[in-house]
Amino acid sequence: MAFNNITLGQYYPVDSEVHKMDPRVKIVLLIAAIVAVFLAQNLMALVPVMVFLALAARLSRVPVKLMIKGLKPLRFILILTFVMNLFFLPGETPLLDLGFAVIKRESVITAVRYSLRLVLLVLFSSLLTLTTAPIALTDGLERLLSPLKVIRFPAHEMAMMMTIALRFIPTLLEEADKIMKAQTARGADFESGNLFKRAKAMVPLLVPLFVSAFRRAGDLAMAMEARCYHGGEGRTRLRVLKCEERDYWACLWVAVLILGVALVNRLF
Amino acid sequence: MLIRLDHVTHTYQPGSPFQATAIRDVTLEIRPGEFLALIGHTGCGKSTLAQHINGLLKPTEGRVLLDGKDIHEKGFSKKELRRAVGLVFQYPEHQLFEETVFKDVAFGPRNLGLAENEIKERVEEALERVGLTDPGIAEKSPFELSGGQMRRAAMAGVLAMRPEVLVLDEPAAGLDPQSREDMLQLISHLHSQGTTVVMISHSMDDVARFADRAVVMEKGAIAMEGAPEEIFRHGERLESMGLDVPSVCRIGMLLRGKGVACPEEMFREDQAYDALLALWKGGKAHGVQ
Amino acid sequence: MADAIFTLDHVSFAYDEDAPLAVRDVTLSVPFGEFHAVLGRNGSGKSTMAKLMNGLYTPTEGTVTVCGMDTRDEKNTWEIRRRAGMVFQNPDNQLVATVVREDVAFGLENIGVPTEEMPGRIERALVDVGMMEYAERAPHLLSGGQKQRVAIAGVLAMEPEAIIFDESTAMLDPRGRREVLNAVKRLNRDKGITVIWITHFMEEAVEADRVHVMHDGQIVMSGMPREVFTQEEKLREYRLDAPVTARLARRLRKAGMPLPEGILTPEEMAEEVAKLC
Repeated sequence: MAFNNITLGQYYPVDSEVHKMDPRVKIVLLIAAIVAVFLAQNLMALVPVMVFLALAARLSRVPVKLMIKGLKPLRFILILTFVMNLFFLPGETPLLDLGFAVIKRESVITAVRYSLRLVLLVLFSSLLTLTTAPIALTDGLERLLSPLKVIRFPAHEMAMMMTIALRFIPTLLEEADKIMKAQTARGADFESGNLFKRAKAMVPLLVPLFVSAFRRAGDLAMAMEARCYHGGEGRTRLRVLKCEERDYWACLWVAVLILGVALVNRLF
Repeated sequence: MLIRLDHVTHTYQPGSPFQATAIRDVTLEIRPGEFLALIGHTGCGKSTLAQHINGLLKPTEGRVLLDGKDIHEKGFSKKELRRAVGLVFQYPEHQLFEETVFKDVAFGPRNLGLAENEIKERVEEALERVGLTDPGIAEKSPFELSGGQMRRAAMAGVLAMRPEVLVLDEPAAGLDPQSREDMLQLISHLHSQGTTVVMISHSMDDVARFADRAVVMEKGAIAMEGAPEEIFRHGERLESMGLDVPSVCRIGMLLRGKGVACPEEMFREDQAYDALLALWKGGKAHGVQ
Repeated sequence: MADAIFTLDHVSFAYDEDAPLAVRDVTLSVPFGEFHAVLGRNGSGKSTMAKLMNGLYTPTEGTVTVCGMDTRDEKNTWEIRRRAGMVFQNPDNQLVATVVREDVAFGLENIGVPTEEMPGRIERALVDVGMMEYAERAPHLLSGGQKQRVAIAGVLAMEPEAIIFDESTAMLDPRGRREVLNAVKRLNRDKGITVIWITHFMEEAVEADRVHVMHDGQIVMSGMPREVFTQEEKLREYRLDAPVTARLARRLRKAGMPLPEGILTPEEMAEEVAKLC
């Protein structure tokens, strides 16, 4: 019950042009945007990237707050990169003398650039996951990777595994909750003691959970076979991915972005 | 030992968009030595209610009192509470984890910090009570047992704590008729030896056979409460809630619907046997064919 | 037999070479369009028999044919499974996709149904089990009975001739059981889909065309529900129990009450008792 309503990934279901885009295009464009971020050689070159992100986010109708939330788990890494760069990057113009170290102008600029780069990478990825349902993402990945089947890359199997994982994570979380309660009712203690003791206390939870996962896997395999599943060969799909006008426009804009970044690189 | 739920409300994930109130203002007393049945649909809140009885869930509002003391007050021993109130979840065999049946049953007593010889004594006693007495069975892996045996091993794990109150969430679910009957007989036997039993059940025939008192829940609140004969007298009301009535109770309702003066006190097989026989004899006396 | 959809001819099956036989010398024929219930305690072989009927298992001895196709012939496998679908016990462990509609599509995708045909077939199947309004929901948020109806829709979309239900109500509450059983009865009655209904709830077998009782891997009783459920002693020998009403009727008859034989449901009982009062 308690876990029934968890949302997977962070899909934010509203109707927008970005949501409606072909997931394949979105994945490719994410890679292109990442390229643009890395292409930028100075702070100014990151400006068009930021403008682009702001416009795309606006168009997606995802609340800014939600996007910022995606940065939260990374805040320590962000601060760490910033501070490390600040102190250890070479520079010439002293800006501030702290006594134990001298902060230089160049290192401040580079530290800001590196941190900003990281923030942009995370925000672009968040934009993809916020506007694309996990299942569509899986679908898009499968199809993008399917040419690799020639070199025996199991694109279909990978996508199927991801789908099944998405389907069963809520079920297994619910089960974990139930088992934990049942063992607590028998006096188990999951919350106190040192690290070793706590790890040991997980055994009564993990063993039944694994047993159950294996039982479910066996059942599911049987059920899939009964429903004529025999791998990716000869399979048709309910959902056909189709590139539409909006997708072509998006590609064009990303191309413009990359050109813009290259141009600014030269100017400054 | 007297357990009292005092105006208990429980809301899952309060303040989130998924906020859901599972039980609402429930006041209920569990009397020492009684056999109480909890009836209602899946999702009516009866499992949530059961989890309040031994403190697994904390009421969002209201209190749970054990002999007058609030179990969530500071200083109240949760350990003692969990020993005194045993909770058997649905499909308890899914919680088995140890290498041997013996070790698994010993898990509870060990958590109580008992001495090794005391643990051994309790495990053996519990296994005997659930009828797992075949030589060597205690040293088997619990995963090698049959479905019915696994269920009983899991029950033994709770009984080894020597609870005074036993709360069971559909203990017979998924069992075949014979194992079902064995399980119900076991619970009835424990009750006759003084254990207070709270049983969640979907089978009205079982409720009619075993319970002293029944509580019907609907949408998180208590809808009906009383002895089985009182509850089943309102068969129509149960049916309107989408619940079953015992099959013989249904015969009575259908007969009364046809204008036959069938007594309302008819919800167990033996009662129906007597009542229908009497009806027939009465009919014969009046010369009706 | 031309009019039989399932034919089992002296079928035996063991899980391993040296394992005991789980199904022993079973001979059975199920005509098109009928509703057959298979009863038996846990471990009686009823589930194993179910899996022999759509080629999930192939017989160690004897032959199983489905619509005239031998299950041992590998080229028939997928056609057999399409024609004889199966719904399992645990509602959680047979749905694959994260959205109801896509789960119903799963089977269709597997057998290569053209994309344009899918939405119509999915919709019809969901309507038939009364789950259309849940088409866009996530399966883990549905009740047990609803999940099982989605599983039925998944099979139904493949346009099968028969559906085998392997204890599909065992884990449901009474409301869920009623929902599923009613949906299945409707499919049998209105669409002529052959039903193999495996269960240990006697009450669910009362309205079947035929009832088979399995014990120790063998079919030990076969007949109309009235014929089977009136043999209370024999049932008890196989560790089964007649429905409460059937048992009560027999006791009353024994006490001299002139009730006709073969009363199985409270409705029949009330009808007959009313005649006597």
